[in-house]
Amino acid sequence: MSTTREVREIIREEPLMHGDILRALSDGPHTVPEIASAIGKPSDETVFWVMGMRRYGMVVELAEPTDEGFFQYAAVKKADGEDEAR
Amino acid sequence: MKYDALVIGAGIGGMESSLKLGDMGYKVLLVEKEASVGGRMILLSKVFPTLDCASCISGPKMSSTINHPNITTVTYGEVKTIRRDGDGRFHATVRQKARYVDPAACTGCQECEQVCTVAVPDEFNSDLVARRAAHIPFPQAVPKKAVITREGTSSCTDTCPAGIKAHGYVSLIRSGKYEEAFQLVLDATPLVGSLGRACYAPCEAECTRGDLEAPLPIRRLKRFIAERHYATHDGPGVQPGEPNGKSVAIVGSGPAGLTAAWQLARKGYRVKILDSAPEPGGFLRQAIPVYRLPQEVVEQDIRNVTALGVEIVTDTRVDDLQALEREGYDAVLLATGTPKATSLGVPGEETTAVVSGLDFLRDVRFAEAPDLEGKRVVIVGGGNVAMDAARSARRLGAVDTLVAYRRGREEMPAHVAEIEDAAKEGVRFEFLVSPVTVVVDASGNVTGLRCTRMKLGEPDASGRRRPEPIPGSEFVIKCDLVIPAIGLVPDTGPFDSHVAVSRNRGIQVDPKTLQSEVPWLFAAGDVVSGASDITHAVGQGRRAAHMIDRWLNGGELDGFEALDDRLAAIDKAKVLSRQKSYTHRDPVKLDVSHVPAPRDFAEIEPVLTEAEAHFAAGGCLDCGVCSECGQCVATCPANAIDLSQHEQTFEVDVGAVVVSTGFKLFAADAKPEYGWGKYPNVITGMQMDRLLAPTRPFNTVLRPSDGKVPDRIAYISCTGSRDKTVGNPLCSKICCMYSVKQNQLIMGALPLADVTMHYIDVRAAGKRYDEFYEESKELGAAYIKGRVAKVTEKPDGNLILHYEDIENGGGLAEAEYDMVVLAVGVQPNREVERLFEGEPLGLDEFAYVAEPNDDLNPGQTSIPGVFVAGTASGAKDIVDSITHAGAAVAQVAAHLEKAAHTLRVLKEVAR
Repeated sequence: MSTTREVREIIREEPLMHGDILRALSDGPHTVPEIASAIGKPSDETVFWVMGMRRYGMVVELAEPTDEGFFQYAAVKKADGEDEAR
Repeated sequence: MKYDALVIGAGIGGMESSLKLGDMGYKVLLVEKEASVGGRMILLSKVFPTLDCASCISGPKMSSTINHPNITTVTYGEVKTIRRDGDGRFHATVRQKARYVDPAACTGCQECEQVCTVAVPDEFNSDLVARRAAHIPFPQAVPKKAVITREGTSSCTDTCPAGIKAHGYVSLIRSGKYEEAFQLVLDATPLVGSLGRACYAPCEAECTRGDLEAPLPIRRLKRFIAERHYATHDGPGVQPGEPNGKSVAIVGSGPAGLTAAWQLARKGYRVKILDSAPEPGGFLRQAIPVYRLPQEVVEQDIRNVTALGVEIVTDTRVDDLQALEREGYDAVLLATGTPKATSLGVPGEETTAVVSGLDFLRDVRFAEAPDLEGKRVVIVGGGNVAMDAARSARRLGAVDTLVAYRRGREEMPAHVAEIEDAAKEGVRFEFLVSPVTVVVDASGNVTGLRCTRMKLGEPDASGRRRPEPIPGSEFVIKCDLVIPAIGLVPDTGPFDSHVAVSRNRGIQVDPKTLQSEVPWLFAAGDVVSGASDITHAVGQGRRAAHMIDRWLNGGELDGFEALDDRLAAIDKAKVLSRQKSYTHRDPVKLDVSHVPAPRDFAEIEPVLTEAEAHFAAGGCLDCGVCSECGQCVATCPANAIDLSQHEQTFEVDVGAVVVSTGFKLFAADAKPEYGWGKYPNVITGMQMDRLLAPTRPFNTVLRPSDGKVPDRIAYISCTGSRDKTVGNPLCSKICCMYSVKQNQLIMGALPLADVTMHYIDVRAAGKRYDEFYEESKELGAAYIKGRVAKVTEKPDGNLILHYEDIENGGGLAEAEYDMVVLAVGVQPNREVERLFEGEPLGLDEFAYVAEPNDDLNPGQTSIPGVFVAGTASGAKDIVDSITHAGAAVAQVAAHLEKAAHTLRVLKEVAR
């Protein structure tokens, strides 16, 4: 499933998606298509959001991709006292 | 300021020019429009054919440039105009854009980015990932200082009379930072809950989203954060300021008085509020019906104020302001509102069955309202008090409630929603009628209201058409109670002897400072302006507190940034033009169940659920980009954020100009048959360079459609070059070689991936370029000669290339790939055309800067003293750009020396 939405619109929604994506990762690391399926959004939009969250330290990739060629992303545990992303 | 040379653009050509001129001893002003020097080279992965790290080569040059003793570098700047003077020198106007960050204090720690609530496409990563409004351009930026993207004040924030940062709290809610959102509103006023219920939300009327499907429910978002805070916190979460030993008396506890008290207490003042009413809150308590604003919400808001130690004394009427001064208060603020109703001025008005709208609402609020069961009520007036009175009368059992208004519906000053809600609750309207007499029977009971019909004449001073009576049109509206609600005025009688009063009976003050002719006496809110609304009163209360603080500390009465020093509002058309299309978002429904005959005062509007609030906030278009949420200000460990900065303009006198404004990349969507912008896995060569760079936006080279590591990658060369269909017959010179470079890098990063380049012919002209190309073939890259006709997408995101295969029979063929990279070419940067006043800079037929004698004098342009360096004059690779910059520098030096020599000769002759 891919989108025809404009990049600016997709990226603008990144903060809105943090909570949904972190909830999707609460049971462990997942690939982008798995996250997209869990949150009910297109995979190409999910790439923007996951990579934005990766950039700002909210998720991190596992070292090796799956046999299908997808990296898995895990939520980054915050240190004590820090506000958990909602 | 005087410089020997002005260099425009700090890419590799501009840096090289500046460094060489600086090394020769010339004073150079280097102006770069981006927030970092470095141009495009610093964004590349590696350079061809050596595969040296681009950052490793660029970085030291960037650092040398800004630290060179003879180079003054202006980043985030812009040369607006250049004019050649009669003496052959140049006069330039330079604009320094505001970074909103103190560069001397900023340490580049990036904490501001972590907390920023606005995400925008990262232009330095070719829009492959988000950056934040507060950001450092890229990790190797020089200077490594943050900059905040602000394009203006967002319409919602700009229009708020209270100066509340609506965009800020909406963006915080979008990020799930609900308490931070509450605190942002609380920074302006303690009345968060009341405004969340009763504000008429001018912000929503200006919301740009309203031009698409509907405005954001900004007021209800405020209510959401207020309810969430009050459900989980005992107090405001704010401490009073350190006591400063000064005290302020505030007369009146309405929105203006409470807001001023809140602001002053936070600055350490001892504040006492005095009010003649039995309970504090002013109109919030006395005039707004509880179905719109429950009593407990007002009490919660007032507790924010008392939590800071503010003393509120009720049942205390103040008639002698000087007595307060004698008691030792350092300043007094008068905020008594508009407690007096304007009378109808018609016979019969004195009967007890005629009650002013304000008195009626006050009676309702304090359970002293008359029994209206089965009664007929006429409300005279078209404002919000009239609507509140009418709707309250319905709730008290009135069988018929009629609003009589002397103009038409379009002219009614009441809020549109109030009018509509009143109609839904069974209130009737009679427009273009004006009362003549209250009809009273022999027992003194009201039986009707005699009215005359009106017509609208020419507009009056308010801009509304003036109503004029129609002779002979009188008629009687039968009724049992008349409620005039035609206006409210201040009650300034007790103060007439102390301070000047204006014609509208308001206290006369300076509108900016709110200071009266008595220096220690300030006045704010409706007692100054006449009847307005809560947000105006809150804004006045904030202003008064600021000015009182300034006055008591001996400062100038200015600097009220919340309302007086905001960036200009951004143009909504500009906001909407950022996207070609917008996805429709269903607005959050207003789940209010109006009934035709309401019988109680229960609140009728539900609070948004968290899901609704979150979704609604997600529709924000970030009009001004930065939302002013204040998270960066609160977080910056160096206290470097300064949102009050303004852009600056300065003039310079220079002996020569070097234009090194670089090039534009071809816009790949101009070749729609290749699918860029439509198929996620079609990217440009610059995007691939970012994916291959050490500071890449993804963790490795991945398909943008789903994050998969690609197995088969195709390149399409000459995208936008050597192509008359897009108006560019020129070869871009660099595309073949950067494609070959990327081919090699991909094979290194993804050893299992197949790389294929579809080309017209590979132009590898340069030292070791052809060897580099051959090496690529030996490493396994495939090269297919022939134009690509089009690209199509399969359901799984894979791409089919339809191409001509010249070397295998010349037929048409198809091949499937995971990703396609368009080797886009370069185009002239036409921004240079607007630079020169009076004497246009000559361009060649392709719109590059012309070099009339490029065979003998490379770098010279059509204007003596103006030179061009690098790709501003045509496509060049990095090596050629540097060489060309060297040529331009030699020309500049010759020009400057010749000018200096001429000057010396002239002086000697004069002697």
